[in-house]
Amino acid sequence: MPTLTVNGRKVTVGDDVYILEACRAAGVEVPTLCNFDGLEPWGGCRLCVVDMSLEKWDDDWFKLVTACNHPVEEGMTVVTDSERVLATRRVVLDLLLARCPDTPLIQRLAAELGVDETSYEKNPEHTDCILCGLCTRVCDHIGVSAIASTDRGWGREIAPPFNEPPPDCIGCLACAEVCPTDHIPFATSNVKRTIWGKDFEMLRDPKTGEAVITKAQAEHFAERSGVPMTYFETSDKSKRLEVAKTFEKLQVVK
Amino acid sequence: MKMIYKVSVERCIACGKCELACAFAHGSEGRPSKSRINIHRRGPELGTPVVCFQCDDAACVTVCPTHALVRNEETAAIDMVRSRCISCRMCVAGCPFGNMLWDEAYNCVQKCDLCGGEPRCVPFCPTGAIAWVPIEEAVLPPEPLDRESLEAVP
Repeated sequence: MPTLTVNGRKVTVGDDVYILEACRAAGVEVPTLCNFDGLEPWGGCRLCVVDMSLEKWDDDWFKLVTACNHPVEEGMTVVTDSERVLATRRVVLDLLLARCPDTPLIQRLAAELGVDETSYEKNPEHTDCILCGLCTRVCDHIGVSAIASTDRGWGREIAPPFNEPPPDCIGCLACAEVCPTDHIPFATSNVKRTIWGKDFEMLRDPKTGEAVITKAQAEHFAERSGVPMTYFETSDKSKRLEVAKTFEKLQVVK
Repeated sequence: MKMIYKVSVERCIACGKCELACAFAHGSEGRPSKSRINIHRRGPELGTPVVCFQCDDAACVTVCPTHALVRNEETAAIDMVRSRCISCRMCVAGCPFGNMLWDEAYNCVQKCDLCGGEPRCVPFCPTGAIAWVPIEEAVLPPEPLDRESLEAVP
C-alpha cells in the first residue's frame, strides 16, 4: 500500500492504482476527457497531466505525466496545480477549442482555466467530436469493434468501415452513452433502433411489447457471457410478474 | 452481526409505503413507478413485493461488460458503480427476475443496494412484510398476518 503526497496532502492507496485515482482519494480534482472508470486508461486527451517526482530524484526535479495511466509508487510527490501543469492544460484546451468552438463541455473546461477564446484559427466545420477515443475503446471492450478512427492528421475521424453501416455493430448504444460531448446521434424506441446508419430490430416482450435491447445485442452477450438466451426474451415487467406469481403460491391469507 | 433483507410475502397489504420510501430515498423524485421495490397488486390489500434478491451467482454481474456491478462485502448487496456504467442495458435484459430497472428520466439503471446497510423501506412497512433482520432469524418461517384484526385507517 504505497503512500504518496498529492498537493502536500498524504494519501495511502492500493497497489495497482494510477495517479488519477490517488488524486481523487486525496480529494483533488483532475480534469479528464478520455478517462472512464470502466475502461483501461488510455492517456489520449493529455488533460490530466500532473507534475510528479520520486523520492530518489533531486528535490526540484519534476516530470510531467498523464495521471490516468501512470502507476503510483511509494513516496511519490504529485502536484496538480503548478504553473507548468496549468499552462500545459491551457494549450490542450486551446487546441480543442479551435477544433470544437461550439461544444459546451470544452467551453466550460477552457473557461475554468481562463481560456475564453482560442488563439488558433477556428474549425469552420462544426463538430462535437474531440477524438477522445472513448467510443472506439468501449466498442473494443465489449468485443465488437464496429467503429474505429479513420484517416490520419486533420482528416482523422471516428467512423465505421468505409463510412457504411457497420456490419459488426450490435446497436448497444454504449458508444453514444460514453461520449462526453454527446456527438453520436441515435434513435431508439420499442420497435426500432438506429445508430451509425444501421437499423436494428428490438427484442420485444411477447406480451407487453416493451424492449430495452436489440436482438443482435442479446445474441452477442448470450454467446459471450454464457447467460442463456431465454433470460433476455421477456421484459423486466413481465419477469417481475412471473416472480410475484411464484410467490403467490406461498402466500397464506387468513 | 450479519444482517439480511427478509421479505415475508404473506404479510404484504400492498399499501405502497415501501415504494414511496424508496422513490424518495433514491432521488427518483418520489415517483413510485421508478422505485427499486415493486408491489404486484392482485386484490384489495393483497400484494407481493418484488425486490432484488442480491443473487449469489447473479446474471446481471455476469453480463455486465465493464464490471460496474460488484458485491459489497459489508452489506452483501450487489452495488452499482455508476462511474463504470456504459448504459448498455444488458443487466436490465439479463436479470431473470426483472429487478434491474431502466430509468428513462435519468438515463440510468436503478438497482436495490440495500441503502448501504440500512434499507429505507423497512421502517415504513406497517406489517413487517419487509424486515432487516440478523441472518439467523431469516430462516424462521414468517408468521401469517391476521388480516381480520387490521384496523381501517379513517
